[in-house]
Amino acid sequence: MSLLLDAFSLVAILLGLVFFVAGTAGLLRFPDAASRLHALTKADHLGLGLIVLGLLPRADAVGGPARLVAVWLLVLVSSAAAGPLLARLARRR
Amino acid sequence: MAAGAIRFALLLLGWAAMTGGADLVLGALAAAAATWCSLLLAPPGPHRVRPGALALLVLRFPWQALRAGTEVARLALDPRRTPTPGEVTWAPRLPPGPARDAFLAYASLLPGTLPAGAGRDGSVVIHALVAGPDIAAAMTAEEARFARAIGADG
Repeated sequence: MSLLLDAFSLVAILLGLVFFVAGTAGLLRFPDAASRLHALTKADHLGLGLIVLGLLPRADAVGGPARLVAVWLLVLVSSAAAGPLLARLARRR
Repeated sequence: MAAGAIRFALLLLGWAAMTGGADLVLGALAAAAATWCSLLLAPPGPHRVRPGALALLVLRFPWQALRAGTEVARLALDPRRTPTPGEVTWAPRLPPGPARDAFLAYASLLPGTLPAGAGRDGSVVIHALVAGPDIAAAMTAEEARFARAIGADG
């Protein structure tokens, strides 16, 4: 059982890292500021979500899982607020 | 008053979940301060949230995040594919105000769309990673789901 959980954590975290790499590749490759914002937000949200998912079975029983999920939610909320603002500024220039 | 009580209870519940029930007095003080701020910054509107529709929206979100992330990752990592970004003008149904702003923030997390400011005649400019005619229709469908969840569809 613990071996299975370890394998689950490993796969989820490695997959999460792949999406962070993809987000960074998009930041370098995409042609305009708004497209780079797509890469930085959407790929990294999924990457962070997968890393959080992989860490959940390893979290302390008291409060740990809720804290991990809260990290993901706070990142989502802050980039939902910042993304459209930055896109609007980039378009105005 | 009821809105304040509900927000206070949810914030305290969040505190309890994260601390495992430790320092509840401190948590109650923090939740009270946060409730005061939230009532000041986002006073309760005329809409009544529909729990069922909201739960559907929340449960659907991980799938949307997966679609959005894989779409961007494939465009970024596959050398044979390049993004064809463009701007799409979209006419929102929600009136200008906090409900529309909340939806636009939410839409920035959905696959392929990033609201990028106001267009002419009350429209909204959507930046799309792969611009196409189906972007506006997808936005309208998502807006309907969102409006149902927050009770803003009349």
